[in-house]
Amino acid sequence: MKKEEIFEDLLRAVVDLDEEKGIRAGTKLIEEKIDPIEGIEKGLSKGMKVIGEMFNNSEIYLPEMIMAADVFDSVMEILKPHISAEGLDKVKRGTVVIGTVKGDIHAIGKDIVGMLLETAGFTVHNLGVGVATSTFIEEARKVKADIIGLSSLLTTTMPTQKDVIDILKEMGERDKYTILIGGAPTSQDWADEIGADGYGETAERAVSLALELVAKKSIA
Amino acid sequence: MVSFMEVIDRALKGPFCSEKDFDLKVFVPRLKEVIKKYEIKCDPKNPIPSDNDLADRVFKAGVEFYTNVGTYCADTERIIRFTQEEIEEALVMAPSAPVFGEGKEAKALVARKPESDIPPWCFLGATGAIVSCGEIFLSLIQGYGLIPLANSITTPTIATLNGIPIRAGSPLEVMSAIETVTLAREGLRRVGRPGLPIMNSISVGSAAAKIAGSQFGLRPSDGWLIGSMAEMKINFERLNEIAYVLSLGGRVVAETSPMLGGYCGGPEGVAVTNAAYHIQSILVYRGACQDSFPIHSKYSCSTGRNTLWAISVSNQAISRNSHFPLFTIPIIAAGPMTEMNFYETASQVITCIVSGGSIEAGSAAKNVLIDHITPMEPLWASEVAHAVIGMKRTEANEIVNRLLPKYENNLDNPPKGKKYQECYDIKTLEPSSECIELYRRTKKEFAGYGLKFKY
Repeated sequence: MKKEEIFEDLLRAVVDLDEEKGIRAGTKLIEEKIDPIEGIEKGLSKGMKVIGEMFNNSEIYLPEMIMAADVFDSVMEILKPHISAEGLDKVKRGTVVIGTVKGDIHAIGKDIVGMLLETAGFTVHNLGVGVATSTFIEEARKVKADIIGLSSLLTTTMPTQKDVIDILKEMGERDKYTILIGGAPTSQDWADEIGADGYGETAERAVSLALELVAKKSIA
Repeated sequence: MVSFMEVIDRALKGPFCSEKDFDLKVFVPRLKEVIKKYEIKCDPKNPIPSDNDLADRVFKAGVEFYTNVGTYCADTERIIRFTQEEIEEALVMAPSAPVFGEGKEAKALVARKPESDIPPWCFLGATGAIVSCGEIFLSLIQGYGLIPLANSITTPTIATLNGIPIRAGSPLEVMSAIETVTLAREGLRRVGRPGLPIMNSISVGSAAAKIAGSQFGLRPSDGWLIGSMAEMKINFERLNEIAYVLSLGGRVVAETSPMLGGYCGGPEGVAVTNAAYHIQSILVYRGACQDSFPIHSKYSCSTGRNTLWAISVSNQAISRNSHFPLFTIPIIAAGPMTEMNFYETASQVITCIVSGGSIEAGSAAKNVLIDHITPMEPLWASEVAHAVIGMKRTEANEIVNRLLPKYENNLDNPPKGKKYQECYDIKTLEPSSECIELYRRTKKEFAGYGLKFKY
């Protein structure tokens, strides 16, 4: 089997949400001693990019994005033992810790942003809803996050986005992370006021912003 | 009907399930199954279909889906489920004409049918949008109370108290809840309508805030809005609110918000989920009515073509098969005093009314820009609602198909419009001449589309 065919199978497995096909193609890739990094870049990640585009065009929705990410993760379990730590770093855009702030239980918008970030190549740690300020900080330290994403759907929970930034400043750790905010009542003005690095008005904008800011930071 | 104590018991003892498994292994696959089984397919060219069989299939799908899925209790990680017999009994025993308001404003909220001659209930105001301070709040409430066709009002949310931003779960939230109720009652008294029911007050507050509000003027005859967690979930905080309101003899307004693009998937999933939410509103939220706002995840509004289709079909499904009253909340993308807001509001109001519902209306700027609401948008919504009473769905479909091209390409970048204080004199409650001109011009245009305005 040619390696291009294996890459195509990996891509199709993600787009068609076919876990078995993905596992077969991943296993074949290892058997054929093809560089797994190439398999990720030319197969799995390309598939995730297609999935992101399909979501943006309303051809698929959140459940399909989650299933595609599950296929990606299943194949990665096969490939990971054959990749060095440096290699893994190379295929990832960055690490994101994302959650809805304490006092707020709105999940779906934040879940969509998390999934779109995964389709763009980020490793995403979704902490869920009603997340305590200390949990954001502890998790960001633990996974060495590049980005902390703070979602708020209520005007009454927006101040908690500011809390996370203020406490990071008090701890002298603010500059370690890029902080993005989002959620219906938030705005660029609010992001500027509280000292966030960016505001994603839509899920797509949040992803492009994450890519821009991580690229800027790596150049700096 | 299954008792509320039994619902609590099932929340404590129902089948255990992780939240992720509920979302992905229960909710999503069961929804896809019924959409396929009942052959439900969106036709975006006809946002208001006239297909009774489709409406009935959506309702059957909603009942079957809810029987298989139930409501997830996030605190116990257990599923509250009901048998089909229990659901059928609930549909028979559900409230059919709950009375809201006091004195001369007291009135029964009656369920409608598609193309019904029964006047809709106009639940008007801010739909929860945000205002900067109490002065603006009080002025707006008076403006809402002066709308002739208002049957109840929906208040704004105050962003600050003495300049301090309100925080969820804090004492500021309790104090803000008290301020909201006190000012709303005062505003309605000033315009001579003290008995007009407030049907959304303290909608996003905690159980403690709701209890505080009831001590400062919120009455059992008002609507106690309790929002469902998306999708098909509840927690102890919500159950606490329900327990309190039921014990008070109050009427729960069960708010539901299926999201297009989220776990519901596309418009077909939103329509079926909305029908399933109708049953949840009766059995779990113990509502006096359902108050739903299907919303698009990408545009954060409800006036796009596919969302209108989902609203129309689910409204028809529910109203043809249940006597439990239904409201829909239009979430409008454009800001106040813009042509686009008038078009969007009209599109959605026409869709809701001819499909068998009533409205909670007055939204602008996706409900997120501070002070971007005026009494003009709910006034317009109420006049459109009454102008299409008895209209055939085919005629309404033609009108909405004329309106959609006027705004649908701007939903992702709508005009922001102006703040209330830029459109009205907040002391005299008079709109600016520019606002009056826009209103008169648009009303004339719509009369040309066949709308029969009452005045």
